[in-house]
Amino acid sequence: MDFNHQIVPLLKKHCGECHTGDKLKGGFSLNDRAALLHGGENGPVIDLTRPERSELLDIVTTDDEDRRMPPKGKGLTKDEVELLRQWLAEGLPWEAGFAFRAPAYEPPLKPRKVPLPPAVEGRDHPVDRLVDTHLAKQKLTWPEPADDGAFLRRAHLDLIGLLPTPEEVEAFSKDAAPDKRERLVRALLARDIDYTEHWLTFWNDLLRNDYGGTGFITGGRKQISKWLYESLVSNKPFDQFARELIAPPSDESRGFIDGIKWRGEVSAGQTVEIQFAQSVGQSFLGINLKCASCHDSFTDRWKLDEAYGLAAIYADKPLQVHRCDKPVGRTATASWLFPELGQVNPAAPRAERLSQLAALMTHPENGRFSRTVVNRLWHRLMGHGIVHPLDAMQTEPWSADLLDWLALDFQQNGYDIKKTLERIATSRIYQARSETVGDSQSPYVFHGPRARRLTAEQFVDAVWQLTGSAPSKMDAPVFRGRIDPEAAKTVKLTGQWIWGDSAGGGKAPPAGETILLRANWKLDAAPFSGTAILTCDNAFTLYLNGRKIIEGDNWNQVTALPLHDKLQQGNNQIVVVAVNAGNGPNSAGLYFQADAKLADGTTAHLASGPGWQFSPSAPAGKEGRLGALPQNFQPAVTVKALPVWTRALEQQGPSLLARGAQSGSRAVRAALVKSDFLMRSLGRPNRDQIVSTRPEDLTTLEALDLSNGETLTRALEQGASRLVQSHGASSEGLVSRLYAHTLARAPTPSELAAALEALGTTPTAGPVADLLWALLLQPEFLYVR
Amino acid sequence: MPALPFAPDPAAPESIVRRDFLKKLAAAGAAAWATGEPQALWANGTKLTHPPAKADACILLWMAGGMAAPDTFDPKRYHPFEKGLEVAKMLSTFPAIDTAVDGVKICQGLKNIAQVMDRATLIRSAVQPDLGSILHSRHQYHWHTGYVPPQTVACPHLGSWMAKVLGPRNPVMPAFVNIGQRLEGIGESEELKAFTTAGFFGSEFGPMNLPFPEEAAQSVRPPKGMDANRFSSRDRLFRKLVDANPNRDRMSDHQQQSLLRSLDNAYRLLSSREREAFDITLEPKEVQAKYDTGRFGRGCLLARRLVEAGVRFVEVTTEYVPFLYWDTHKDGHETLAGLHREIDMPIATLIRDLEERGLLDRTLVVIASEFSRDALIEGKPGSTANDQATFKVDRIEETKHYGLHRHFTGGTSVVMFGGGMKKGLVYGETADERPLVAVKNPVSVMDLHATMLTAMGISPKTEFTIEGRPFYVTEDGKGQPVAELFA
Repeated sequence: MDFNHQIVPLLKKHCGECHTGDKLKGGFSLNDRAALLHGGENGPVIDLTRPERSELLDIVTTDDEDRRMPPKGKGLTKDEVELLRQWLAEGLPWEAGFAFRAPAYEPPLKPRKVPLPPAVEGRDHPVDRLVDTHLAKQKLTWPEPADDGAFLRRAHLDLIGLLPTPEEVEAFSKDAAPDKRERLVRALLARDIDYTEHWLTFWNDLLRNDYGGTGFITGGRKQISKWLYESLVSNKPFDQFARELIAPPSDESRGFIDGIKWRGEVSAGQTVEIQFAQSVGQSFLGINLKCASCHDSFTDRWKLDEAYGLAAIYADKPLQVHRCDKPVGRTATASWLFPELGQVNPAAPRAERLSQLAALMTHPENGRFSRTVVNRLWHRLMGHGIVHPLDAMQTEPWSADLLDWLALDFQQNGYDIKKTLERIATSRIYQARSETVGDSQSPYVFHGPRARRLTAEQFVDAVWQLTGSAPSKMDAPVFRGRIDPEAAKTVKLTGQWIWGDSAGGGKAPPAGETILLRANWKLDAAPFSGTAILTCDNAFTLYLNGRKIIEGDNWNQVTALPLHDKLQQGNNQIVVVAVNAGNGPNSAGLYFQADAKLADGTTAHLASGPGWQFSPSAPAGKEGRLGALPQNFQPAVTVKALPVWTRALEQQGPSLLARGAQSGSRAVRAALVKSDFLMRSLGRPNRDQIVSTRPEDLTTLEALDLSNGETLTRALEQGASRLVQSHGASSEGLVSRLYAHTLARAPTPSELAAALEALGTTPTAGPVADLLWALLLQPEFLYVR
Repeated sequence: MPALPFAPDPAAPESIVRRDFLKKLAAAGAAAWATGEPQALWANGTKLTHPPAKADACILLWMAGGMAAPDTFDPKRYHPFEKGLEVAKMLSTFPAIDTAVDGVKICQGLKNIAQVMDRATLIRSAVQPDLGSILHSRHQYHWHTGYVPPQTVACPHLGSWMAKVLGPRNPVMPAFVNIGQRLEGIGESEELKAFTTAGFFGSEFGPMNLPFPEEAAQSVRPPKGMDANRFSSRDRLFRKLVDANPNRDRMSDHQQQSLLRSLDNAYRLLSSREREAFDITLEPKEVQAKYDTGRFGRGCLLARRLVEAGVRFVEVTTEYVPFLYWDTHKDGHETLAGLHREIDMPIATLIRDLEERGLLDRTLVVIASEFSRDALIEGKPGSTANDQATFKVDRIEETKHYGLHRHFTGGTSVVMFGGGMKKGLVYGETADERPLVAVKNPVSVMDLHATMLTAMGISPKTEFTIEGRPFYVTEDGKGQPVAELFA
């Protein structure tokens, strides 16, 4: 007996109209189990001791037209009666907490202008004014301010994910300016690379992007890493950000809507179309469509047809609606969830439908979109959402005024994420001491920031900061940093445009011709960083060592890609499937240029030109692999570049190559490497699903890894040796330095005494490593407090 | 069940948690509420009743890569290698041998297991869905979680369900240990990671992964190069600093509590006598020798020791690496001869050892695989699945062609020992001629799970809410235990 899937729909269908919510026909309600057992005006309808004799069964099966329920329609089918009978026989199992009542709260859709209440005691920050109202209503006092050290550490970890250095701690404590906290917030947000490499974790979780994972093996999944990095480093307005994810202008951001395609058949509730609906709903609207992708939801208002409508926007062929994996015999009509703002045109082609959805999502009247994201940001900074859980945005916020004010402010600031972070972080409430929660079971009442656990990435970054043990190579296929026009001037374009023999002697290759162009790139040492640029008139697909990397069909746009994660020591096969377009013979050409820095300190270089080969026959490729290459390769033909080609290449190529060259010089951050044993253990998720909150508690297996794991132990030993060398003159100095770096404060006398007892007068590596370990596992360290 | 051979160490240091937070222990896990983490759902009025447990521990012996039933536990017409042999004529590449049960035969090469088949329930009719295309890790995901990927939530491994619902049998020990499978540096490792996890239950219920049994001891010792003295003084320093911390009272109690409790647990395991269970070199030499046919064999020995020490669920796998071990796309016969040698003695010894110690009746041992293999048919008869055999030949010309090189989902063998199962039973059967599909009493993955769960005292209808909806241990709570298998 399945209450949710069998009984609820039955009761809803036949009895709901008159006996649920505030409808009490005949005094009878089946809102919850107690009401059902209580019965109606004529007494109980259920007899649990003799379920067969229950009035309820009689009344739905009787031939007496005047008595029969429901009074309208054909009544219950035999199967339904049987189900009801079985349900009674089993003792009326009812899902705990379930009720048929109408939802007590329905969130508003449109943005709302909130008048700010007057400032109390000089707290004139808009957020504080709204929080003051909330606290007054709850009869709570304003919390104590956090001390400088706690605030400094919190702001660093929250905004850029790094510990403040001992030097930063000292400078901040010496700074007497009254606005130093606000200045700090702004300064941290301006560290755009640090900011990006911290928030990557949040967005990778929310957009389920990763550098490895299920689906990649069969080409069933694409990364958006490079696009995401660039969007964050340039603080792309969030409305544009969302539009580029929903209606991708290029392949770079396509991975989000394309989801994960496993090889073989999947259930109807997990096709890529349904994944699209679920992902768009969850990430941008805080709507969980997982229930509604299988049947009308029992927990919120969303219906099967609405989930399928959203999915049909993405579908490139008619989409059969399935209920619990069985077709119901109708085709979904492309539609989105809030038609009051407008609707997509189901007759429009797919790309247009996606653009329409993107426009509706970021419609200025769609307050749900901005509320959902500001609530997530608030949660990151304050430890608990204004609406919580974050993906159930239909839940009543603890302060609708605060949520609505922040959301509208965000919109009016041009969907500027950093601006909203600044708004929150410069409020006095953010600068308050973390609240102490004794009993976590009592309902949430906001009374200031809550301590939140360091993410796996924050912890690992901290270890790398403290011990200098960051790896030298990252996995994320991104360019770190931004384009530097000065550096671009030093880069030379050394390649030539090439094609097959159809371009020999200045001829124009036929339209639609598909050829292979290839080169072997032998690297004498392991690559440390690398960049390639390429462009092709008319279209290319690049395969590197047999794996499909990227495709493009716009020769106005030079494509750049990081190579550090794709090249290997020894031979590297670079193969391009190049296609000419047009209606008749016309110019075609490929340009490729790449640099790589190698572990032995040398650099390697490859550019299209002599040495490249072509073949007129191109294999089709499958699941992201090209398969066996043909045997008939011949030397490629150099073609004369069209002026328009050269213009695009000269404008874009050097700066793209220069950015790649700079990218490898910074210390690697945890968000840029694949999840490893330690990070997985500390809660970095497999990003097979969207994740918006990670577990708050440390588990025994994690503690075990922290206690004896090899990676951490080795990092601590190495770091301790370095620390002894650089700061080992006095134990006391070293302890102070470690406290400043880990906890952004000085040790108390008793802490100092305990640490000194462990270190002795002259610190040595072993005891220093142990002290480091003991500090890293302090609750005060493992939480942002 | 006899007393555990290891008792908690009374000399272990006093727990910070117990000392300071005893009064609030009841609030443990409460944070889960606030963050929308899964919680058990009990239907109002009719509280879900779990069946009485017949077993306290479970050992899954996982034959990763597709164990060919006709070459192991379900021998069919045998054809020795000969040049020019029609593939269509070949059903088994090993002859059948007698077992301790009259009339029940298994394949040559498994003679020691044959001798303990009188303690076994042999299911010959396990079936799997044809997923349209074979990706081993996808079928393995299905087998280990009960759900075909992709899924909208991260599904917990079967062992995590047992850890979540039952916990460890000894609080010092982890509840769920996974032996013999690397999760890094091999093909399909991302797909393996996707199900080697507690999923939405959170890592507390996830597996402790021990890819190399011989290195297991190190995983519960203080870090390499740290002696016991330094380890305990490091712990003392940690505790002193916790006590001296001026901000201690300013943080949420439940956060500190969960953290300190976990660290306490870890320290207890690392300094307890139970940790010896992880060290297979403490076994007498002759016992080690019986198990030591390779990594899998050593894993079986480790599994036995861990179950003795109070672990709830242990999986031992012949490692999954694409195209290796059971995943034969060529040289099938020769490869399986080697695998027979690797599994035969350790499995038989494990069963006898458990029996000798009086543990077999309360320990469910299951030999299983994601599907079977066949010389001709990929997937199920009539499937559109892509044929992945390396050599697609009609006649066998070389020994590398001799073997069952296709993935077959129509009829697979599962062997169960102990844990309240019948002894000497054969359940279900497959056809005598190709297609070798289950022709009697087919058992789905779901019902097989329901059977294992029921034996362990977990209702197949057990559910948790996650993201506001129910998630069942068997899909929609519909798994039915196979009643005929229980003694």
